[in-house]
Amino acid sequence: MWRVGIDVGGTFTDLFAWNESTQEQVTAKVLTTKDDRSVGVLNALKDAGIQAPDVSYLMHGTTTATNALIERSFPKAGMVTTDGFRDTIEIGRQHRAHLYDPYQTKPKPIIKRRWRYTIGERMDVHGQVVRPLPKERAYEIAEKIKAQGLSSVAIAFINAYTSAAHEEMMRDVIKEVCPDCYVVISAETAPVFREHGRFTTTAIRAALIPVMEDYFSRLEASLNNAGFAGRLLVLKSSGGVTGVEYAKQHPEELIESGPAGGVAYAAYLSNLLGDCPNIIHTDVGGTSFDVSIVQDGKGLITRDHEIEWEVPVIVPMLDIHSVGAGGGSIGWVDKGGSLRVGPQSAGSKPGPVCYGLGGTEPTITDANLLLGRIEPTLGGKMTLDKEAAEKAMESVAEQFGLSTLETADGMIRIGCENMAQAVKKVMVGRGRDPRDFILASFGGAGAMHACFVADSMNVPRVIVPAYAGVASAFGATAMDLRQDLETFYFSSVADADLERMNEIYADLEERATALLTNDGVPVDQITILRTAQMRYVGQTYEVETPMPSEKLVDSDVPKVIETFHKYHKMEYGVSSDDFEPALVSLAVTATGKMEMPPAVPMSNNDKDPKKSTRQVYFSGSWHDSVVYDGHAISEGANIPGPSIIEYDHACTVLPPNANATVDKYGNLIIDLS
Amino acid sequence: MDKKVKIDASVLDQSQVDPVTFEVLRSIFEYASERMSSVLQRASFSPILADMVDFSNAIYDADAQLISQAANCPIHLAAMKFSAEAIIKKFGLENIHEGDVITVNDPYQGGTHINDITFLMPIFFDGDLLAFAVSRGHWMDLGGGAAGGQNFRGSHIAGEGLRLPPTKIYERGEVRQDILDIILNNTRTPHFVQGDLQAHYGCLLAAEQEMQRAAEKYTVATLKAAMTQLQKYTERIVRNSIAEIPDGDYSAEDYADTDGISDEPIRMKVTLKIRGTDITVDFAGSDPTCKGAINSPFANTASAVFYSLQFFLAPWAPANQGMFTPIKIELPDDCWLNAKWPSPTIGCTTLTSSKITSAIWQALSKACPETVTGSTSADCNWFVSSVIAPDGTTDVFSDLPAGGWGASPYADGMNVTEDPLGNCMNMPAETAELLFPVAYEAFELRQDSGGAGQYRGGLGAIFKVRYLSDGELSMETARTLEGSPGVGGGMHSDVQRQTKIHKDGEVEVIGGLAPNGDWKNPLLSGHPFAYGDTFMFESTGGGGWGKPLDREIDAVHEDVLDEYISIERAEKIYGVAVNPITLELDASRTETLRAALSAAD
Repeated sequence: MWRVGIDVGGTFTDLFAWNESTQEQVTAKVLTTKDDRSVGVLNALKDAGIQAPDVSYLMHGTTTATNALIERSFPKAGMVTTDGFRDTIEIGRQHRAHLYDPYQTKPKPIIKRRWRYTIGERMDVHGQVVRPLPKERAYEIAEKIKAQGLSSVAIAFINAYTSAAHEEMMRDVIKEVCPDCYVVISAETAPVFREHGRFTTTAIRAALIPVMEDYFSRLEASLNNAGFAGRLLVLKSSGGVTGVEYAKQHPEELIESGPAGGVAYAAYLSNLLGDCPNIIHTDVGGTSFDVSIVQDGKGLITRDHEIEWEVPVIVPMLDIHSVGAGGGSIGWVDKGGSLRVGPQSAGSKPGPVCYGLGGTEPTITDANLLLGRIEPTLGGKMTLDKEAAEKAMESVAEQFGLSTLETADGMIRIGCENMAQAVKKVMVGRGRDPRDFILASFGGAGAMHACFVADSMNVPRVIVPAYAGVASAFGATAMDLRQDLETFYFSSVADADLERMNEIYADLEERATALLTNDGVPVDQITILRTAQMRYVGQTYEVETPMPSEKLVDSDVPKVIETFHKYHKMEYGVSSDDFEPALVSLAVTATGKMEMPPAVPMSNNDKDPKKSTRQVYFSGSWHDSVVYDGHAISEGANIPGPSIIEYDHACTVLPPNANATVDKYGNLIIDLS
Repeated sequence: MDKKVKIDASVLDQSQVDPVTFEVLRSIFEYASERMSSVLQRASFSPILADMVDFSNAIYDADAQLISQAANCPIHLAAMKFSAEAIIKKFGLENIHEGDVITVNDPYQGGTHINDITFLMPIFFDGDLLAFAVSRGHWMDLGGGAAGGQNFRGSHIAGEGLRLPPTKIYERGEVRQDILDIILNNTRTPHFVQGDLQAHYGCLLAAEQEMQRAAEKYTVATLKAAMTQLQKYTERIVRNSIAEIPDGDYSAEDYADTDGISDEPIRMKVTLKIRGTDITVDFAGSDPTCKGAINSPFANTASAVFYSLQFFLAPWAPANQGMFTPIKIELPDDCWLNAKWPSPTIGCTTLTSSKITSAIWQALSKACPETVTGSTSADCNWFVSSVIAPDGTTDVFSDLPAGGWGASPYADGMNVTEDPLGNCMNMPAETAELLFPVAYEAFELRQDSGGAGQYRGGLGAIFKVRYLSDGELSMETARTLEGSPGVGGGMHSDVQRQTKIHKDGEVEVIGGLAPNGDWKNPLLSGHPFAYGDTFMFESTGGGGWGKPLDREIDAVHEDVLDEYISIERAEKIYGVAVNPITLELDASRTETLRAALSAAD
């Protein structure tokens, strides 16, 4: 039987699979079928030569949820809030994205104002009723929802994180009047305080449920038709997988479903290689650069990700940051006469100038071509127009009196510096030093720039993984099942009621275990980590702090405090005994162990990997550089820079200071020191 | 792991930094100040820093010229420079050592209002003074006659709180307990002081680390050369933009409704004199120094001028000294915008600066009407309230419910967004209720509050907080007599208003215009609220852009469906008829209405 990972991206649907008995590994890359993405999934299986009945697990990463959200393309959704808070999801936190831009606008609210209703109920911060839910008004709203034909409704009341009672009553009324309507409540979606995050996340769940219900049902039907009898699992933003039924009901946990696979691959590598617990995961495509961190073999998690300005999704997610930098990023001269790269991108249309599809502004890809880093026929696939690229570069170069080569080289340096800044923002913002990490490079344009990005942060080592081309699909098969559950608990540590905390943890663990057992995980394969969101009394931001896994007793308290100080210092650079630590919420992360893809040593061949020699421009001059066939390289190969390693869909650029070796699994390890 | 750093050989020529290294360093400087802000926000204790982000951070070169800034609050933009200069002037460079942190909040030594407190740390590399890191934050309370210093009945700055001259608070890495004790003795919120101080310190250390790393890699000489080039770069951008404005003198006026003491408006007049690539901003004709607490010291006025112009001259350029060079400011000697000791100044950052912006933007709209937006609500509506916690202790909380932004030539204005002067976040209701004896009852859009136009001004808000204890509330605001002006035929927005809803339901306007036409002074100073009373504030929207009759009919209809505007307003001002029952557009009646309105126009 096969374990299959499939990542459905914007352009390609990637597949990686391994055979449970023979350990054989296969990959496939087919075009994404935009009208019905499930067709592409079956195409990928076919392309890989795998019969649906032979699949035991299919792990699936999808950008469907994110696309629907960004395009606001979902069935009519409504919302019910406490009187006075109709516009919480629209006002946001009343600040702006660009300090000095007088023409800026804000993203459209997830749910239109015309379908946001309010009701005169009220809970206080202790979960006590201040004003009971007026039933008559509740029915009036339900009738409006029915009349408007809304497909789904989010209910989000102030202080509902302390008591779900009113939200549940409201839900009952709507379900009674509109039995076919999906109704979700904030107390179940994200039971933590601060209304903007909780309300918005609930609105997102409501908006996406019909979309994902429809998508997964169609996918299940097509798979079943093809004879699939295995288990369909879905990648979550948190870096774990879950059963498809859960995924349908919790679409807000799928926002980073695509990129999460790549991070899982980075974590897998970290565990495989043994000597690199800390990895910077980078993925460079045509228009964007994604970065995230793997520390001690695990992806770093955030709970305040914003999918757009003031549109937070407050469930635990891998901390993946995106900036507009990629192969299509355009070089230009600003009003002050400085050379800039991006964030504008030529995208795929018109694309780089050298593609000859109408692009006129020089891009990073054009710069790479001029510097000899890209082969002008892309391995015989097309003919790049070098002359046009040169002309475009000249138009920028002449504005500074630089040569076209210096300008092209400069564009790469600046582009890579932009990427390095994005990495630093993630790392240093969270108290980590890039020099303690190695940089792993994924994505079509990644390995061309990885050495330069690493250099600009003094990162000493780069890894280009064997399956970089289908990283997310590979990562999909390298994930455990995962459930994160959280409950609000607000107290200073000194005043904490340990009995109550033990009850909360026991309840969370029971629920998490039930969810995993539902997905077929045997109880002895479940591990549970307890954490708490903590801060100093009076602070506003929390730090996730690990908690003892056993029943809490008085003697644990000093240990909890000490751990919190340590984590606070790591995240924010400071800590102090002068302030009292406090708890804000308690959480568990439950994982159900899955079998990881086996590390299969590469099959060596006796082909000569050296294809040719060509001139490549590095820091001010041309260098004779050997060109290697990436598919002919064997274990233990030592490849000194300057050189170029070419694959079907990508190439690795090794500058003069780099030296690469190939490990026994086919990963390229580049040393820059 | 090898952490030895290589020196990039291509940058060893230090006379002139090559364009590529320049761009790389520009982004490193920018990143250094952004990282300062990230540390300060995350590590600070008081909600006004952590939740509302009322702070700014910057890097200055060794001559105290601004190099880069993460200004969460544009009003801090230039004022921090004057603080840095005051500090260096007092101590002399030779007496500022590694590990020192010097603080100042005196409005008359480069400050703005007393609650904005500045911390400066020198950054050395191998014994060379490389730069200064400067962090400025709004501290919740530094004493004075009302909580948060908002004493609008005072006429002397001594009533607004502790006024620190440039003072070392850390000496060679050690905190000075004697100074700290003075601060602790002079605040209503001593529990925030050490945590916030530690956060500022952490953020200065972050800047030090980034700049030292850059110096290690690129050398001090290259960094210094790049800093000089960076200022010229921004100056070039600003001058190019000024050159596009036709030469001439352009004047406009705006006013504060009151200084809190007299009921007379306090007026300002600004004339932009555009000459080639220079601008002189002349405030001749503005009112003399006023009695109340809205006087603006020079640093605050200058800051307001610079950031107001930056929106249209160089919105994307790195903020640095080069921004200031082409702009000259002229102020009458006796003027409320050129305040001198002992005039009180607590309202200057929030109230006065936003009026300066409004006046400057209106003047600019006369020079280039096709590019300027309608006026914003032009106030940050900052209030501070003391409340008695259930255990009997007094606590202080604060919020700043925003209004709307003016419409632009391209789009409707943003709803409920902090005034250009700052970029603070609001207080979440659930945070407030968890920490203070209050219940937030509303923060929602206020229908019809934006100025009508081809593009509509953004909407203001209705904000309500109910007291679950006794308390006192101080607040500054304006736009209570007239709303935000529109441009190019765009209309004014509605007025702002403060209301107390008594526990028994009685509604009392306590600031601004009551339904019967009475007007009350909206600079509230320690206004008492009893258990069960509710404070309601209605903020205004932004001014409109272009004539309302030029607004697309569908856009008006959509606005009605979403209840951004009322059916009555659609009809009366936009000439668009919507059926009140079905909410469908009545096309034929719309045609008649629009024809009639155009004829009357």
